[in-house]
Parts: sequence; structure tokens; C-alpha cells
Amino acid sequence: MKLHEFVVRRLLLLIPVLVGVTVLTFTISHLIPADAAAAQCGDKCGIVTGYTEDGDPISAYEANRERMGMNEPLTTQFRLYVTHLLHGDWGESSTYHRPVADVVKDAAPITLEMSFFALLIAYPLGITLGIISAVRQDRMFDHISRFFAIAFVSLPIFWFAMVLQLLFATQAPESGVGGICDPLFGTNGGCFPIYGRHDPSLTYPEDGFAFLYPAGGTGFHLIDSWFVTDGKLATLPAEFGSNWLLFKDTLLHLALPCACLGIASSGSLLRYMRASLLEVLHEDYVRTARAKGLSEFRVVIVHACRNALVPIVTILGFSIGGAIGGAVLTETIFAFNGMGRVAVKSIQYLDFPVIMGVTLITAAIFLLSNLVVDILYAIIDPRVRLE
Amino acid sequence: MRGWDEGEEDRKESLKRLLEALSQSRSDISRSWRIYRRSLLAVVGLLLVMSVVTISILASRIAVEHPYRNLQDTEDLWSIDYEPRRAHPFSEECDWHEQSISLTQQRRNEMVTVVAESDDKVGDDNRYYRDTLSVIELVHLEDNLGYDLDASLISIDPNNSSILVLSPELYDNMSLTTIWLTYEFDNDAMHVWWMPDGYERCIFGTNDQGQDMFSKVLYGSRVSLKIGITVAMLTVTIGTIVGSVSGYFGGRVDEVIMRICDVFFAIPGLILAMAFVTAMSAMTSLTMPIWLGVLIPMLFLFVTFRSYLNSTIAGDQLSDQVMGSLMRNRNLFLGLFVFFFFVSLWPDLFGTSDSRSWRIAAAMGVILLLGVITLADKRFIEKTSFDGVGERVSKSLDWTNPWRYLTLRTVAVFVAIVVLYRFSGSTGGEIVVIKDFDRLWQIQAALIFTGWPGYARLIRGQVLYVKEMTFVEAARSVGAPSGRIMFRHILPNAWAPLLVAFTLDIGGTILSASGLSFIGLGAAPGTAEWGLLVSESRRYFVNDPHLMLYPGLAIAVTTLGFNLLGDGIRDVVDPKNRR
Repeated sequence: MKLHEFVVRRLLLLIPVLVGVTVLTFTISHLIPADAAAAQCGDKCGIVTGYTEDGDPISAYEANRERMGMNEPLTTQFRLYVTHLLHGDWGESSTYHRPVADVVKDAAPITLEMSFFALLIAYPLGITLGIISAVRQDRMFDHISRFFAIAFVSLPIFWFAMVLQLLFATQAPESGVGGICDPLFGTNGGCFPIYGRHDPSLTYPEDGFAFLYPAGGTGFHLIDSWFVTDGKLATLPAEFGSNWLLFKDTLLHLALPCACLGIASSGSLLRYMRASLLEVLHEDYVRTARAKGLSEFRVVIVHACRNALVPIVTILGFSIGGAIGGAVLTETIFAFNGMGRVAVKSIQYLDFPVIMGVTLITAAIFLLSNLVVDILYAIIDPRVRLE
Repeated sequence: MRGWDEGEEDRKESLKRLLEALSQSRSDISRSWRIYRRSLLAVVGLLLVMSVVTISILASRIAVEHPYRNLQDTEDLWSIDYEPRRAHPFSEECDWHEQSISLTQQRRNEMVTVVAESDDKVGDDNRYYRDTLSVIELVHLEDNLGYDLDASLISIDPNNSSILVLSPELYDNMSLTTIWLTYEFDNDAMHVWWMPDGYERCIFGTNDQGQDMFSKVLYGSRVSLKIGITVAMLTVTIGTIVGSVSGYFGGRVDEVIMRICDVFFAIPGLILAMAFVTAMSAMTSLTMPIWLGVLIPMLFLFVTFRSYLNSTIAGDQLSDQVMGSLMRNRNLFLGLFVFFFFVSLWPDLFGTSDSRSWRIAAAMGVILLLGVITLADKRFIEKTSFDGVGERVSKSLDWTNPWRYLTLRTVAVFVAIVVLYRFSGSTGGEIVVIKDFDRLWQIQAALIFTGWPGYARLIRGQVLYVKEMTFVEAARSVGAPSGRIMFRHILPNAWAPLLVAFTLDIGGTILSASGLSFIGLGAAPGTAEWGLLVSESRRYFVNDPHLMLYPGLAIAVTTLGFNLLGDGIRDVVDPKNRR
């Protein structure tokens, strides 16, 4: 099979899965017995909002039902939903009072940014420790690192996040260090910010207005921070460094959530890397490399690791999915309005369009990243394509 | 009918086989243990798991108080400065108690004395009771607005340390209605055998409602273990069935099942479980319509009988009949007829429609009858004599040899019946599978719903691998039916990774369940569930880290135990380690 055939085949396989995701989420969210129409109007359901042609009063509740299409049969609702979806209309959120597409567009970059940095922590950490662990098999370091790998997998991530908050975010105003999380005026003390995406107290010294990230930006604050071209930024004292200040602020706010997610997912990576490298180290070509008289470092890093890393690539897709799943809890604790938190909120307030929108987009991200990983894998290891 | 003595030889033979199998498994176990104990971590894991299980069993003996204690009564709605007590672990407040005394009530009853009592406690029989406390020292007294009063206004009766005497100034001061008294107590009734003196209640501290965290953490182990083990067992069962069907039959079935699994993998499990819990939130009991309850065992029996008959009696001569299709489906029609007959007449026939034992007995009757019809039907169509049937039936129901029935399958059937009977109740025209379908059951259902595809994929891979082996081919060539090949030949050779995954999954399930509870979609508020305890501590944890530290540690330790155990088992079942 040629590479492009492989890609096309994999792309075609995405379609039934995406359809399945739509059907599944639609079914579940319509199984929910609670009345979304009633949840939306609360205690004002009885208020008359209009009259029918015959002069009968229409209550707010009935108007809601009509507007949400709940009087139609389920199949019609599904058909309508899919038709709208294909036209780019994701529906209207009842909790955010905005189109779902906008809600998701705001939330997705936050989660992606966080997951990206979490994996940026997890992969080097897991792989390095995995290599050392495999090289020192059955020695003290191996035992300890394996224990910690299992311990990290066993940690409840929400609890770990709270412990990190306790450890790193205690207020220490007397320390005099100044606090790296409070780069502007140094009044807050403390170290890493406990929650939020950026410091709300990050304001101009003169008028007290907050720095605004560009509204139409990418949504990734790390990138957006360099595009804040507010004229007033230039008026800041030089030591604040304007855009660099915003960037640092975002980065510091990302530190704890990413460390939490990253460390939690580095455990399984360590185990995979160790197992994979141990297998490779018994291969003939490693023995050949040793027999040639290469240094042990070169044998392990250049000859063995390159091959041991190949199976690790396949895990990348799954770990992106895992990071997004773990983001549900991490975002709740660190008050990031990413997709996880949006999902929790929409489920609590029975906001069906958002539930379905978020689920679809997370599924799409997961599937696409898996696709990319598989293609990468097929390029690295051409044997895969033959199957 | 054979006599008891005639079965002597059969009995001896069966017993010998049983004992052989037993000694075989004993040597298997001892060899596995030898491999297992090589790893220190695995042994530690086993110890952790064993201690958590022991704690969960002995929770009511070790715990200081029942964790579901209702504390509404200690909270005075009118007290503005009411400061909830969050005692730190090993603090001196551990054996302090705060009691409200209603002076209005005292004056109305013309009583000058008050009995020192604990708050309402819930006993294991779900009844409220109060302990009488013996007071050592009065610590603090305040009125219902939070202003301090002189503690010497109340004194302890010198003869009985449980009785507090109100001074005349207090009794006659009509501006005071309710007062709050804090005193140090010492009580044998409150003293748990293993506790150090003076820390009767809070070696883990108390929460904002004054409840003992230690008891909550102890009882939490019951909830977590229950969820973990039930969910893991059911997901394994469902995943195994689906996965082996998918792997064995391959082709289109496989394709469809795997795409469904992909759908489940694509959605983050936690989000899916959250949505599912919400979807079930209005369910108060899990009921099954009677027709489904009868249909499932019926279909099962039908399928097994069919394959059994097909393999023992040649059944291909039927298709040339004109009414072939009708005749072939006759037993189905007859079955449906009998079924509807029974179901429609159900309450009238038995009159005792509320009794589940009757129901189960009736269902058994229907199944037996159908079995007989299925069996007889073939004979009718083929016009063969019934001679063999009686012999086979009497042979298969050999009462002279009880050892025969000591097989895994029979035991499993009996366990299943007992479980069904234990959990089922009945209302109206439906079989109640789970009577009280509370939040904990809902989490379990949600986690089962999201968990099975992982196992299905795992087992499918194993089945695909084992399927190509020679012994499967051999079984197929002697005409063994698919079901038998799948479950008797392939699965026993594919269970090793399943066992590992099962153990690891108990830990994983405990984590996910506590995560769900943490978000607020899991256990009902007030339950002693570890995730919920951590979640409830979120408002105070910066100043009172003990509120979240111990429940979280408990989750981590339990999960760690199961993960280490799973790793150890992985080493044992690894073919490389078999010597």
C-alpha cells in the first residue's frame, strides 16, 4: 500500500467513528430525563411571553420547548441537528447565551495549550527516566523510578493538583524574594499562581485598566501575548518588558496545571520506554555495536534508543486523548475555562448543544491526532502500511 | 432409576478427578507465588491491598463514629458567628464537645441541670442515639450571638460528672435564650480500644461539621472497593464476551464492533461517564421488564441447546420440506406462545405476584418446559424414537454422583441465581434488578458503560492470536460448536492479560469514581466517599490541609496497591518467567 492510499483509507475510517460519536452523544444527552427547557427558565417558567394565533397564552416554558425543537420527534431532532452541524451551525448555548461554535472556539485553545505543555513535560521526563531505568535494570535507581512510575499513575490527579497548590502557591509575602508569579508590582507575594489563566491584577499603573489580549487572536495566550499592540504598553516602565511580561504571566499560570498533568502522565511513559528499550537492548545489532567497541553511551542513545522510540510514537495519540480527559479535573481545580470545564458546566446545567459540541470537538481532536501519529508511524516504520 | 450404591464407581472416579485438579491447581498456585514474591514491590502491593480490604471489613469496629451522622442539629441557624469546627489532627480540641443548651426549654421545664450528651449519632441499625459524656473541664461558654460568657456560670455536679448545673444568674437572665458550652470530656463509651488517650475523635481531625475524618476515610474504603471490584468484574465480563465474538468471527462483525469501540475511545471517558450519570440521575431503581428477564435465559438456553443438538443429531434433512421454514421455526413459535401465555396469566396464575421466589420458580418452569419442547421437537420432525432422550436426560441428571456437579459452570450458575435472588425485588410488572439505584450505582453503571471497549479490544487481540493455533483447528475439525471453541478452548488460553488488566482496572476505576465524585456528579453529598471528601475540603484546604490530605492519600494508596498487585501478576503470567 502506498502512503497516500494508507492516508486516504485512514481518513475514510474516521467518518463512521465521527458519525458514531454524534449518535452516541445525541442519544445520551436526550436520555437525560431532566427538562432542559424548564432548567433554562427556572422559576419564571409560568410567565406568559406571547400568544398563539388563537389567543391562547404561551408560557416561557412552552416557548423554550418550541425554540429548542423539543416538540419534534427524536429522529427529526437528530436530522435537524446534523443538518445544522453540516451547515456550520452548532446550536445556541443556554448557559453561555452564545453560539456553541464560539464557546468551543474560546475553550479549545486553552485546553490544547495546557495539554501541549503537559506533554512537553511528560515526554522528556518519562523518556529520560525510562532510559536510565532500563540501562540500570534491577538496580536501586530502577526500583525507585519504577515505584514512582506506578505511584504517579495511581495518583488521583485532582488531589495531586491540590497538593501542588498547597506546596507551591502558599503566600509568602515576608520572604522578600518578590514572587515570580507577581511580576508587575510585587505586592501579592507568593510563588506560582493558584488559579486562573492570567493575573487579573495585571493592570496599567496609571489608570488601572487591565491588559487585554487581542479579542480576535488565536486564543493561545502564549502567542497572543506577543501581539498585544496596545499603545499604552509602551508607556510601562522598562523593567516590565511589556509583551514579555504578559508572556511570562501566562507561562507561570500554566506552570502548575501542566506540571500536574505532565507528571501524572509521565509515569506510564516511563514504563513504556523502559520496556521498549529493554527489548531493543537484547537485539543483535546492539551487540554488534558493542562489539565494535563503541562507548556504552553511544550504543544506548544512538543505536538502541532510536529504535526503542518507534513504539513510543504510537502512544502519543493516546496521551493527547488522555491529557484532554485529565484536563477535565485539572481545569476545574485551576479555574481554566477550557473544554473540560465547559463540559462539566454544560452537563451540570443540562446545556445539550454544548455537551454535544464539546464531545464532538474533543473526539475530532483525538481522532486527528491519532491519524497524524499513525501516518508518522507509517513513515517511520513502513511495515505498518502492509497490513 | 439407579440406586445409590450403583453409582459407587462413578463417584470414586469423579472424586479422584476433582482431587487431581485440586492438587494441580495447588501446585500451580505455589509456583506462581514463588515467582510473585521475587518482586518486593509486588509483595508490598499485595500487603496494601490486603490491608485495605481488612480495613474495609473491620471499618465499623475501628471507626469512632458512624460516618453518616446527621449534624444538622448542631448548627444553629440563628447564630451569626457560628464558626464550624475543623479540628486539626491530634489537636487538643479532639475531645472537646460543643453542646447547645436551650435556656428557654430549661425554664419551661424548671430544670437547673443539663445532661452532657454527644450529638446525634446513627448506629449500625440506622437509629439515632446519644452518648452521655462525662465532663472533665468546662472550656468555653458563649451566647447564641457568639459573645463570650463566663464559663464559671455553669458548674459540674460533684457527684455525677455527666450533669451540668446552671448557676442562678444564668437561669434568671431572661435575655439569654440559647447558650453554647464547650467542654472537655472523657468517656469510655466514646473511647475506641486502639486509640491513644485524649484523642478520642480526631487523629485525622474533624471536618467543618465536626465529623470525624478518620471514620469517614475508613468507611470510604468500603465504597471505593465496592465500586472498583463490581465495575471491574462486569466490564471484564462484557468486554470478554464482545471481544471474543469480535475476534472469533472476524469479518463484518469484527469491523462493526471495533468501530463502536473506536467511538468510545474517541470521547474522553470522564466526560462520557459524566453525561451518562446525568442521564441516569432520575432513575431510582433499575428495573427490567419481565419479558426481558425471561427472554435472556431463554435465548441463552435456546442457543446452547441448538448447538448441542446440531452437534449430536444430524439435522440437515429438514430443508427439503415444503413447510421447511415454518417447521424449522416451530419451536420458536411454540416458545413465544408459551411465553406470552405465561406472561399474560402471570399474576392470575400465581396470585403471589409480589413474591420473587415464585417469579424465579415460574421462570425456571418456563425455561425447563421450553427445553423439553426444543428437545422433543427434533424428534417429532425427524420421526426418530424417544429412546435415547430419557437415557440422556437421566444420565445428565445423575443424582447418585454429586461430585459431578462440582464444576465451575454449575457453581457459576448457582452463584448467579443467588446473586439474582439477592439483588432482585419486584414491583408491578417488572423485575427489580437493583432496588435502590442510588448515586453509587449510577457511577458504577456509567463506568461499566464507558469501560468495556478497552477489554473488548484486549481480548480481541488475544483471541486473534490464539485462534490460529493448532488445537483450535483440531477442536473445529471434530465439530465443536463456535461457543464451545470460544469459551472452552480459546479463552482459557487468553486469560492471562485479562487478569492483569482486571487488577489494574480496579485501581483505575477507583480513580475515575473518585474523580466523578470530586466534580460533584458522583456520590451523594454526605457520603463517605474519598473523592467527595477531597471535593468538600476545597473551601478550607489551604488552612486545613488535613481535610484533603488523608482521603487523597487513601485513594492513592489503594490504587497503588492494586497497580502493584497487577504488575506482580503480570510477572507471574509472563511466559518468560515460567520455569
